[in-house]
Amino acid sequence: MVSTVVLDLVERLGAVSVGTMVEVPLHPGEADTVAAWCARSGNELVSATEDRAVVRRGRPAMAAFADNLSPKQRPGARLWLYTNFDCNLACDYCCARSSPKAPRRAIGVDRMRRLVAEAADAGVREVFLTGGEPFLLPDLDVVVRSCVDRLPTTLLTNGMLFRGTRLDMLRRMPRDGFTLQISLDSATAELHDRHRGSGTWQRAVGGIGIARAEGFRVRVAATVAPHEADTDAQAAFHQKLDGMGIPREDQVVRPVAQRGFATDGLALTVDTLLPEVTVTADGVYWHPVGADHDDQLVTRDLFPLRTAIEEVQRRLTEYRRTVAVGAQRFPCA
Amino acid sequence: MTTRPLIVGAVAYTPNVVPIWEGIRDYFTDGPAQMDFVLYSNYGRQVEALLDGHIDIAWNTNLAWVRTVLRTDGACRALAMRDTDLTFSTVFVTRPGSGLRDITDLKGRRLALGSRDSAQAAILPVHFLREAGLGESDVDLLRIDSDLGKHGDTGRSELDAIRAVLDDKADVAALGVTTWEAIGRDQLMPGALEQFWQSPTYCHCNFTALDTVPAEHTDPWVEHLLAMDWNNPDHRHILELEGLRQWKRPHLAGYASLFEAVKQQEIAAQW
Repeated sequence: MVSTVVLDLVERLGAVSVGTMVEVPLHPGEADTVAAWCARSGNELVSATEDRAVVRRGRPAMAAFADNLSPKQRPGARLWLYTNFDCNLACDYCCARSSPKAPRRAIGVDRMRRLVAEAADAGVREVFLTGGEPFLLPDLDVVVRSCVDRLPTTLLTNGMLFRGTRLDMLRRMPRDGFTLQISLDSATAELHDRHRGSGTWQRAVGGIGIARAEGFRVRVAATVAPHEADTDAQAAFHQKLDGMGIPREDQVVRPVAQRGFATDGLALTVDTLLPEVTVTADGVYWHPVGADHDDQLVTRDLFPLRTAIEEVQRRLTEYRRTVAVGAQRFPCA
Repeated sequence: MTTRPLIVGAVAYTPNVVPIWEGIRDYFTDGPAQMDFVLYSNYGRQVEALLDGHIDIAWNTNLAWVRTVLRTDGACRALAMRDTDLTFSTVFVTRPGSGLRDITDLKGRRLALGSRDSAQAAILPVHFLREAGLGESDVDLLRIDSDLGKHGDTGRSELDAIRAVLDDKADVAALGVTTWEAIGRDQLMPGALEQFWQSPTYCHCNFTALDTVPAEHTDPWVEHLLAMDWNNPDHRHILELEGLRQWKRPHLAGYASLFEAVKQQEIAAQW
C-alpha cells in the first residue's frame, strides 16, 4: 500500500495558521517520511510515535525561540568552567557544595586549553571560570592565560586570597579580555558574614581594592536570599560600590538558587532554566547552578565539546516543544 | 492627490492570509502609500468588489485577472506579481510503470483534474490537451471540485486528484507545480508517483487595479512593494508566508494561454 501521509500533511498544514500543530495518523515506516517532509518544507516535527505524528506549521521552535534571545542568551554563547570544587569558605547557600572539605575535582590546564579551543570553534563567545575558589589552584594564572588567549574570560573569586604567591599569580594574569568577578553580598559586613563566615566581608572589600589597584576590571556580584532582599539594603549596596569606583554595569545582584547547601531560594529545573553550558571535571551540565547535580548532567563526556553544546540546544528545543504542546492541549479556559 | 489609504482585496483561503496582509499593511504604514486590506471568501466576490470600486487593488489569481480584463474590456492593469508567479506550470503525474511518456499518451486514459475554476489543475490542462490534439472526448476526465471559488489556491482538489491516481480511479493527475513541490515531487513517496510531462510556463497571480484608479495613486504603492527585501528579516517573514523571494513587475504575455483557454472552453467571464 502506498503511503499517503505526505498528502495528509500538506492538506492539514495548509489549512492552519503558522504555529498551529496538527496530528496525523502514522502507519509503520512513515515516521521517516514525515521527518523528511518537515525538513524539506520548513515545518517542525514535534513528535512521532508508532502510530501518530504531531507537526507544527512553520519553522522549528528553536530557530524562532533563538531569534528572540539576545546574542549572550543564546544557548552555547557562554561557557562556564568549574576550575575546581574545593574552597577556603563554606558559604551556606553554595550551589556547588564547595567547602574546605570538598575534594578538589579540577579540570586541569591541558583539558582546559582543549575545552576553550573547541568552545571557540563551536561558537562560544565568552568564558566564565568558577569554583570552588579558583585561587586555591597553584597554576591558575596559566589556566586564565589559556582561556584569555582564545576568548574573553571572567574569573569568579571571593577575593580573599590576594597575598604572597597568590598575589604574584594574580599579577601575572592578563588585563585585556579578562574580568575578575568578586563576591560581596552587602554594603556592610553583617549579611555577608552571616552566610560566608565571620570577617569575610572585610577581606573581600580588601580584595576588590587590590584587584582594582593592580589594574583589573572588577565586577562585584551579590548573592541574596529572597527573604533577605530589601530595597534599602540594595540601594546601600550600590552606593557602597559606587564609592569604590565600580561602575553600575559591573554591579550584579542575583538571587540564591535552591541548590547545593541552600535550603531556600529559587527552585530551578532544566525545563525552566535557560541553559548556560557548564563543564566540570565530572561532566557537562545544563547550568552552573546545577553543576553538582545529576538532574542537570548533560553528558559525562567532555569531548568533543561541540557535541555536548548541540545536545543542550536539542534538549532546550525539546523542553520548549513540551511546554508548547502542553499549552495547546490543556487550555486554561 | 488623495491621502486615503489604498484598499487591497485578497481572498482568505487559509488562516495565514491574515498575518500575511497585516504584515504587508504594516510594511506600508511608514511608506509613501499607505494601505489597508479587505478579505473575501472567494474570487468572484473580490472581482465584483473591484468592479464596484469597493477596493482599489485586488490580489487576483490568473483566472480572476482574465475575468477582470474581460469584464472591463481591458480597462484595468496588472501592477505587480511574485517572482514565483512568472514561472508557474502544470505537471502531469502518474504511477510508475504506467507507460505514459508524453501528453499525447493520455488518449483513452483517465485524467484527474482539480477544481474547475483552477487554472493550473483544470482549465489549462484541458487547454494543453487540445494543443496536443486531444479533445475532451479523447480523454476520460475526472473532475474533483473541492473548494470552488478559491481558484485552486488551497490545493485540496489537487491532493484529491493524486489520491484518485493512487486509488486507481485515474491514471494521471494534473497538478500545479507548487503542489508537486509541496509533496516533495517524487522523492518522499518513492515508487508512488512520477512526473511524465510539464507544461510551458505561464503567469499566476497579480495585483490588479482598474484604470479608474489613477496611476499616480498606485505607482508609489508599487514602487514601495517592489522594495521589499528578502535580506531584511521583517520583510522576509512576510515574503516567506506569501511564497516569494521578490516582487516583480508583471509579464502580461504569461497570461496568453489562459485567455485562449477561457475562450475555447467558453468559461464565463462572470460568476
